Amino acid sequence: MTDNQTNPESFKWVGKRVKRIDGPEKVTGELKYMTDYHFDNMVWGKVLQSEYPHAKINHIDTEEAKKLPGVICVLTHKDIPGFNGFGIVVPDQPVLCSKVVRCTGDAVALVAAETLEIAEQALSLIKVDYEPLEVVADAELAMTPSAPRLHPDGNIHSQVIIKNGDTEKAFQEADIIVENTFYSPRQMHAFIETEGGWGVMDEEGFITIRCPGQYAYRDRMQIARSLAYNPERIRVISSPIGGAFGGKDEITVQIYLALLAMHTNGRPVKIHYSREESVIAGIKRHPFKVQMKTAAKSDGTLLANEVRAVGDTGAYASLGGAVIALAIEHSCGPYKIPNVDLEGFCVYTNNGIAGAFRGFGVNQVCMGIETHMDMIAEKLGVDPIELRKKNVYHQGEVSSVGHVVKSSVGTFKTLETAENCDLWRNREKYKTEVSEPWKKRGVSLATSFHGIGMGIGLPDYGAASIELLQDGKFLVGVGCEEIGGGNSTVYAQVAAEILNCDISNIHVVQGDTSRTLDGGTVTASRSTYTGGRAVATAAPNMVKLLTQTAAEMLNLPASKVTINTNYISAEGKKLTYQSIYQYLFDNRKTTRVEGHFYLPKEKEGIEGSGGAPHHLYGYLTHVVMVEVDTLTGETDVLRVVSIPDAGKVMNPQGLEGQTEGGAVMGIGYTLFEDILIEDGYHKTRNFTDYIIPTIRETPLIETFPVEEAEATGPFGAKGIGEVVMIPIIAAIMSAIHDATGARIYHLPATPERVFNALKSLKNKKTQSAR
Amino acid sequence: MLVSEIDMITPSSLSECLAFLAQTNKKHKLLAGGTDATVRMKEGNWRPEVWVNIKNLKELRYIEEKEGCIHIGPLTTHTDIVRSPLLQKKADVLVEASREVGATQMQNMGTIGGNIGTASPAGDTIPALYVLGAILEISSLDTKRLVPIEQFFTGPGRTVLRVNEMITNILIQPQVPNEIGIFQKLGPRKAQSISIVNVAISLRMIEGRHCQGGKIAFGAVGPTIIRAKKCESLLSQGPLTEDLIQNIAKIAWKEVMPITDVRATATYRRDMASALLERGLYRLIRRWENR
Repeated sequence: MTDNQTNPESFKWVGKRVKRIDGPEKVTGELKYMTDYHFDNMVWGKVLQSEYPHAKINHIDTEEAKKLPGVICVLTHKDIPGFNGFGIVVPDQPVLCSKVVRCTGDAVALVAAETLEIAEQALSLIKVDYEPLEVVADAELAMTPSAPRLHPDGNIHSQVIIKNGDTEKAFQEADIIVENTFYSPRQMHAFIETEGGWGVMDEEGFITIRCPGQYAYRDRMQIARSLAYNPERIRVISSPIGGAFGGKDEITVQIYLALLAMHTNGRPVKIHYSREESVIAGIKRHPFKVQMKTAAKSDGTLLANEVRAVGDTGAYASLGGAVIALAIEHSCGPYKIPNVDLEGFCVYTNNGIAGAFRGFGVNQVCMGIETHMDMIAEKLGVDPIELRKKNVYHQGEVSSVGHVVKSSVGTFKTLETAENCDLWRNREKYKTEVSEPWKKRGVSLATSFHGIGMGIGLPDYGAASIELLQDGKFLVGVGCEEIGGGNSTVYAQVAAEILNCDISNIHVVQGDTSRTLDGGTVTASRSTYTGGRAVATAAPNMVKLLTQTAAEMLNLPASKVTINTNYISAEGKKLTYQSIYQYLFDNRKTTRVEGHFYLPKEKEGIEGSGGAPHHLYGYLTHVVMVEVDTLTGETDVLRVVSIPDAGKVMNPQGLEGQTEGGAVMGIGYTLFEDILIEDGYHKTRNFTDYIIPTIRETPLIETFPVEEAEATGPFGAKGIGEVVMIPIIAAIMSAIHDATGARIYHLPATPERVFNALKSLKNKKTQSAR
Repeated sequence: MLVSEIDMITPSSLSECLAFLAQTNKKHKLLAGGTDATVRMKEGNWRPEVWVNIKNLKELRYIEEKEGCIHIGPLTTHTDIVRSPLLQKKADVLVEASREVGATQMQNMGTIGGNIGTASPAGDTIPALYVLGAILEISSLDTKRLVPIEQFFTGPGRTVLRVNEMITNILIQPQVPNEIGIFQKLGPRKAQSISIVNVAISLRMIEGRHCQGGKIAFGAVGPTIIRAKKCESLLSQGPLTEDLIQNIAKIAWKEVMPITDVRATATYRRDMASALLERGLYRLIRRWENR
């Protein structure tokens, strides 16, 4: 750490509103995504998806397809040289199915052809003899003994349990108990660039895969395992990406591309899913059923929480086990509840495939605990902010899951900020300003948190390289991909700050196994913290290299050398970075430095929790105002206040990008989005019926960061990429209740669901009036 | 039929187009804005042997008032309608409906003739054309017939159009000074959505809240657009107070026969027919009073 890292006053780049370094080429459309590329000699790849959600495969006949003019190859499971499976934790998903299909997203065969149309035609000529099997369409039913077993170990992929204190006794002693069941939707990432990319094998057998992903090194390992191929002879380029949000964390089409590339005589092969293919094959957010029972004393002190959460992971595990574990770890909110009994199940069904998605299970449980907080506040007649303030844990206190939270905790401050914001203070006035007599307004808030980095038991590290270039600029290499969150700009800011140069002198390369070091995934709200700290670890090494080289060149002791803005000086002599590069080059010395570090971890895990606790958490409170049309049930979110504790804010503009994007994604989750699957078949097939918010559904969003600096982070930063979309879900649900008196327990809160809730509320009132 | 095997011909005039339709024995379809056709072709549903591309037939793109009648060419885009001062003044309900069609890009490409020809029960401009009493001019090479819009549709996606015919003119009665209209749509979100229910209302006002009569047409609640004649007959029963509006609206659910699909249940659609009518009448009367 250099001096200027400890004195925020002197920062030139960190904490400033720095424009995104990747902004201009993205907004002008100049940037080419990997799926935008075309090559003259390129061939088209297509994937044959399963016809049935659950069936036995008796036979696959590819003869007709192979005979079609223009077809280059048709591949089945028999053509996989290595292991026929993938999956980040448990590789239980076949690359190409051989004996059984478990969802309509399963791949059965691959085709490469001269044109996309011929490839599509070839798919229709592949004859698969299926024997349909009973479909497991519901996670609760999947857990019963009579359900067909989808995997050898049964349908329960994982179970996590956390118990503390004595909940039974606490419920007996409680003054107030609330108990409800919550259902959440199968949200789709809905990135603008569907899964795709291209693969090519050169004459020497070196394979290059260009495919958007969230961890090039892990993708490479999964490819190598299936190809039985030396990973050093595979290059994976995973950035830039047209959006990911967790949906490109798992393998998408990388292995298909590699397999096809081995059979196209050196011609590049491209796969690019149509939106319809993406809807069916792509992973989704786990739909949850959450049963929750929460107890409090009459003074508002939380006593106990009992949770049973069942997540539908679909046909394969992917990161399902970790999602359920993170959900359970966060199921009691950022509060200290002495008695808890928490249980989560990750269950196989034939409903597509679920996996990683921004929020990673926390969204589904936050809506439970935060709705309960509001119900308790309402019943006790206390202010919902006061109730939360009374129960939040502070740094150094014990959380509900039973560990001492050692890192920074900003919840209390975010609640204080919420209390003092205009929307909250003047809410009664705003609520009266409805435009038509049948409309009703409500203002509510909710708070949540989200672990940063991997939990206990998973190694977590960061790495970055910095290279001095011939033109005197610096190339910063970080494994973590730019998936749209703006981490590239953060890396450039950190490098420019420590190297004391203009940000235009920093180039950033990301997500390329031949140009960047393995620094872990771009997931788990970790890339600002991890990548930023890795750059901050590498940069002093570059400072040292520059200083020592200058000293050598000038024949002076290193202590006389000063790094100025964009040049080096010593005793009145100036050296440019170009000349330093030239000196190093001429003397055959390295111009590149690296920085590596290991993420701080908790020492003791919580037994049975599957990865809890995390060492670091980001915190956030949302305040929202909604207007409900009581004639139709339509809900309009009019205003959002987002109050994040992200540690030190590296770039306020980048933070706002996250809080605004997160709020809109949270609005979509709460009000519109769901992939409907019936008996294993997708009812929602594309954007005609998968409704995401447009600019007309985007409200005024204000961001008021609370900066609780994290001592271990780069310049005090934490992470914020996921929690930005979480509490808004519960806040909107509560605001609907505040407006109308009706509560929604099943998301999305579509106009029809809100209307029905209003209708039954009316019926109840009429009945009690009799 | 593969997409690459489909032919396309682009007639340079209406007569050339009608001549082609008269002589061809190939399976053909007209291609206007293409906002529906390309999607259905992609899905594999519409794969004719030949597309008859009429997009460039400028002679079918016009909005004009002649002899007490408004003529709208079938290739008039939704954007043309939204921007037409004539229609803004004398066919407000059609302008409002056109503004609710899909996204801006769809409004720029999609045509009113295409919207009619596709014959979707959820088509946004059709209820508006119902309440404006539209009459369609249908031509073949050697015949011309006038069909009231209410007689044009035979079911979802089905019309009385014969294979050698096309819509060549849309005639509507201009609104008189005391005539006001409104279009209400309920979709899963505010923009770029397919109607769960929509309704077009046109009222002929007398004085205050007294109404001489009017027309009400619902979309997406039956196999075709549905006129709510029972509701219409009550419009002139007294001043349109909030009470009367609510009573008229309640009757709407008896006039519709929706089905359940992925977008909404039949029960909700029924309730929404009433809700949209209530909301529409309320807003229309407010507009009338604040004119």
